[in-house]
Amino acid sequence: MAVVRLRARFRARDLFAEALAGLFTRPGRSLLTAMGAVLGIASLVATLGIAETAGAQIVTAFDELAATSVVVTNDRGFFGTSQTQVALPWDSEERVSRLNGVVAAGTMADVQLGGRLTSAVPVNDPLGLTEFQMPMIAASPGLYAAARGELSTGRWFDQGHSERADRVVVLGTGVAQRLNVTRVDQQPVVFVGDASFAVLGILEDVQRQPELLNALIIPEGTAREMYDLESPTTVQIDTEIGAASLISAQAPVAVSPDDPDAVQVQAPLEPDEVRADVEEDVNALFLMLGGVSLLVGAIGIANVTLVSVLERIGEIGLRRALGAGRRHIAYQFLLESTGVGLFGGVIGAGTGVLVVVTVSALRTWTPVMDPRIALAAPVLGALVGLLAGLYPALRASRMAPVDSLRAGATG
Amino acid sequence: MTAELIRLVRVGRTFRSGDIEVRALRDADLEVTRGEYLSIVGPSGSGKSTLLNIIALLDRHTSGTYRFEGTDVTELSEGARTGLRAHRIGFVFQSFHLLAHRTVTENVVMSMLYNSVPPRERRTRARAALDRVGLDHRAGFRPGRLSGGERQRVAIARAIATRPAILICDEPTGNLDSASTESVLELFDDLRSDGLTLLVVTHDNAVSARAERIVRMHDGRLSEPIAV
Repeated sequence: MAVVRLRARFRARDLFAEALAGLFTRPGRSLLTAMGAVLGIASLVATLGIAETAGAQIVTAFDELAATSVVVTNDRGFFGTSQTQVALPWDSEERVSRLNGVVAAGTMADVQLGGRLTSAVPVNDPLGLTEFQMPMIAASPGLYAAARGELSTGRWFDQGHSERADRVVVLGTGVAQRLNVTRVDQQPVVFVGDASFAVLGILEDVQRQPELLNALIIPEGTAREMYDLESPTTVQIDTEIGAASLISAQAPVAVSPDDPDAVQVQAPLEPDEVRADVEEDVNALFLMLGGVSLLVGAIGIANVTLVSVLERIGEIGLRRALGAGRRHIAYQFLLESTGVGLFGGVIGAGTGVLVVVTVSALRTWTPVMDPRIALAAPVLGALVGLLAGLYPALRASRMAPVDSLRAGATG
Repeated sequence: MTAELIRLVRVGRTFRSGDIEVRALRDADLEVTRGEYLSIVGPSGSGKSTLLNIIALLDRHTSGTYRFEGTDVTELSEGARTGLRAHRIGFVFQSFHLLAHRTVTENVVMSMLYNSVPPRERRTRARAALDRVGLDHRAGFRPGRLSGGERQRVAIARAIATRPAILICDEPTGNLDSASTESVLELFDDLRSDGLTLLVVTHDNAVSARAERIVRMHDGRLSEPIAV
């Protein structure tokens, strides 16, 4: 019989069966060995999942307010750079509203009242203070929507009021309280200096530009006519989600085409950046922790595999005598440690996902997780097992069959 | 097929450990023909195991030539030697070397993992081998529940399941009581009458007496043969 035809072989199916049998020979030990990998993988998966969940949570909170708010002002900044202050055009609201991605826009400006006092009744009441110094803000009709205002009663003024310079006012809720105005159905009037203004409505709440709540708000046209207002100073823009960065780049050009750099833009961090920042913070620490536990897990697998190699010297010798090549022995032990790692990875991924869900449930967050993490975790576990098994497998394959058979007396 | 199965010509084996050299085997000449029942006897430390390991291709000799079934295995690669072991040589060890967590059948099947026996045939051949050694009724048992003699017979079944050219036994009765020894020796006789070549290393004269031919070893030298 030709020697060439007598090469030892080890079918893949047999290899898997033998490795599996090796693992199930001592199920308790295999389980404990896998625990290291379980802990490592679980902490990695949980870390990534919680970071992602928390990041998404923060972004959700930001989305509603800051992430869709862009503010353009003609402020020259705190130090007042050498540039001259530009006047924002009166039609800023219209210009900005044309931009794609803008939901609402409105302009506003402080009105200098020159010491005029405000009161709700034209009589002097000797018993109480009825006249107050109150800030006045000139606003465009669109500001109500752009600042996400909410009226408790009455209405906001419109373009007609502004164009006709009607003497109407919307009271911020703070102002309304001090002036004792609670309803508008009987057409109350407030006096600013000698001028009377019909109260149109009371602004209960805003989500942006909170100074509106403590001011008398009049149409821009009226302010221009009565108090010589020169120009709006602030453009408040409400954008669609995700459009903020685009709008913050386009809005300055829209309102100040000849010198876009002269205006200041306050734009929120992009959601992606916020998320990335949060994830980075959480991740750096916990990923390190997960990495360390995974390393410890790997050492555990390597250790136990090595012990099991030394324990099974007799079996190794027998297999060699029965015709197993060095690499067959190596494959078998490698596959066993890989199996332990894979098992640890699967359990660890499950545990990690469970942790993320539990934490989210306790915090009433929405758990967010890239499914690729859960799928990659077992692969990582198997890889760790494979690496951990390299040295023990090498040791096993190097054993001379003679020594192995002498050293190990089994059954 | 020639009658010659094994031929050793001036085979030696020297172990080196630092500066110390031990010549465990010196100029051994040995010929084994097919169907022979040969016993190698000698006191412990005489080099029996060394000779056996070389014949069994578990160890390499350091001088001389060794032909197995007409092939010079002296220069054979490790892979080819492994292949020969898997297909042509059956082993029986003093300490049985059965895997405690596998059933008797699974232990027998193991010898066919590394050679060309198709997976579908393995169970059938394992059953046939167990039948041959009279242990088919123990097929589902674990080795721990068997007597010493039964365990050694399982090991023999494992060795013959691959249909080797030669069965090499290293002190096969060393761990057995006299009754079990007898059952194993009877089995050897049966296998011999089937035409299997047997090579039994032992220090027990009662065991070697059953062989057709006895080779004595002393201080690493073979002395042959006193006709029986």
